[in-house]
Amino acid sequence: MKRPSLVPIAFVGVVLCVWEAGVKLFAVPEYLLPAPSVIAETVDRSLFIQLAVTFSEALAGFAIASILAFLAALAFVRFRTLEQGLFPIAIAIKTTPLVALAPLLVLWQGTGWWSKITAAALICFFPVLVNTVKGLKAADAEYLQLFDSLGATRPQEFRKLRIPFCLPYIFSALKISSSLAVVGAIVGEFVGATKGLGYLIMISSAHIETPTLFSAIFAAAAAGIVLFYAIGATERFVVFWQDASSE
Amino acid sequence: MSTLLAERKGTVQSKAPPARTLIEVRDVSLRFVKLLVLDRMAVDVREGEFVSFLGPSGCGKSTLLKVIGGLIPVSEGEIRIRANGLRVGVMFQKPLLLPWRTTLSNVLLPLELGRETRLGPQALDKAHKMLELVRLADFADAYPHQLSGGMQQRAALARTLIQDPDVLLLDEPFGALDELTRELLNEELIAIWTGGATRLRAIVMVTHSIPEAVAMSDRVFIFSPRPARLVDVIGIPLAHPRNAESPDVTRFVAEARQLIRGTL
Repeated sequence: MKRPSLVPIAFVGVVLCVWEAGVKLFAVPEYLLPAPSVIAETVDRSLFIQLAVTFSEALAGFAIASILAFLAALAFVRFRTLEQGLFPIAIAIKTTPLVALAPLLVLWQGTGWWSKITAAALICFFPVLVNTVKGLKAADAEYLQLFDSLGATRPQEFRKLRIPFCLPYIFSALKISSSLAVVGAIVGEFVGATKGLGYLIMISSAHIETPTLFSAIFAAAAAGIVLFYAIGATERFVVFWQDASSE
Repeated sequence: MSTLLAERKGTVQSKAPPARTLIEVRDVSLRFVKLLVLDRMAVDVREGEFVSFLGPSGCGKSTLLKVIGGLIPVSEGEIRIRANGLRVGVMFQKPLLLPWRTTLSNVLLPLELGRETRLGPQALDKAHKMLELVRLADFADAYPHQLSGGMQQRAALARTLIQDPDVLLLDEPFGALDELTRELLNEELIAIWTGGATRLRAIVMVTHSIPEAVAMSDRVFIFSPRPARLVDVIGIPLAHPRNAESPDVTRFVAEARQLIRGTL
């Protein structure tokens, strides 16, 4: 891991200061752009509850999609016909805008958890599937020949060669889809919900409570960032050979 | 075909009785799509000998080695493995170590694979012994990225040897290493081969280096550019260790070079 740097934190600090000063200096109305200090005042317990709702929806959708995508990728690489048959369907799901699907999900699954979890899962599925399929095929032909010469069975070839080789690919997919998961959950909440950050954003924008709107947006960003870095940290621990060998 | 296989230099090594053939490749041809890669190839490997396949890059000698190792099916001809249950160990040009495994664990890999795994209590002992044999005992717990290129190839050799192969098939085993390391590893390979700590009965090595082939082998099979055909066989009845500067060795090198030039 590279040495932790204070540079990004310093930059954020400078941006916030300029923002605060600018708003005060030009007397920008609060409903258009509230000062950071005003936004900070809106951070309360209820915001964290909404954040927790959205975060758990996103996390559940992300986990379900990742597991399903991994299993699908295993099946695709093991059985080529399956890949040929189902890949176009996966692409169709990917290219359909989630915003267009979300009302249908709410119609089917109600305004509770599941419509949001499904929305998050739908948006996460494709990147994990594509990268895992690519990763499972990433082991050099020579490695496959080595395993062949050692008499490896197909399950052994997957367990001891293809899957470990695939891990870096899976992790980069997880990093992409973790931030998408938050998007999916919020889109689901936009369409029909009684709680969560998406709900809070809709309500506060309807009531022109711009400071609350901002704190909800920041909370959503924070959820994505936390997921992203948590996965990054896990990656460095699991795929320990990757950094070291590319040095 | 048999005249082609007969040595130009009379009998190789005076080990009586005449060594029996372990592997016989008869009239093997191989096509990749339409490209003829091997053209009625005939090669034999006998008990107790070190043979080299020598030829220009891309002539198909590695392919022939993989055919013998059973990694590529042949289109025509046959390969006869004469001894029953003859075990073949293949070593590739790249070390092909698994980067997430320690040296020791990489060496153990062959025992974990196959329908019956052989990870008994002796497996660890054996792996340590193999690491000693290739002089990597101190690096059992190191990961591949912590090893030099030469050390990685030693680990690969230990991984091949742990299967107790009767025949070792080496595909330019040290070809990717610098010349000094390569010479050293070649000498160590010969030491392991003549040392008798393994149950090796023959070694087949693919190379495009004439001095290397002459320094190591009892017989050198010389191949033409693609499609690979056997041009000639040179027997080199010199004892190990061989001095690269000795007149005998240089004479054989010159002879091999002339033969290869004739095919280009």
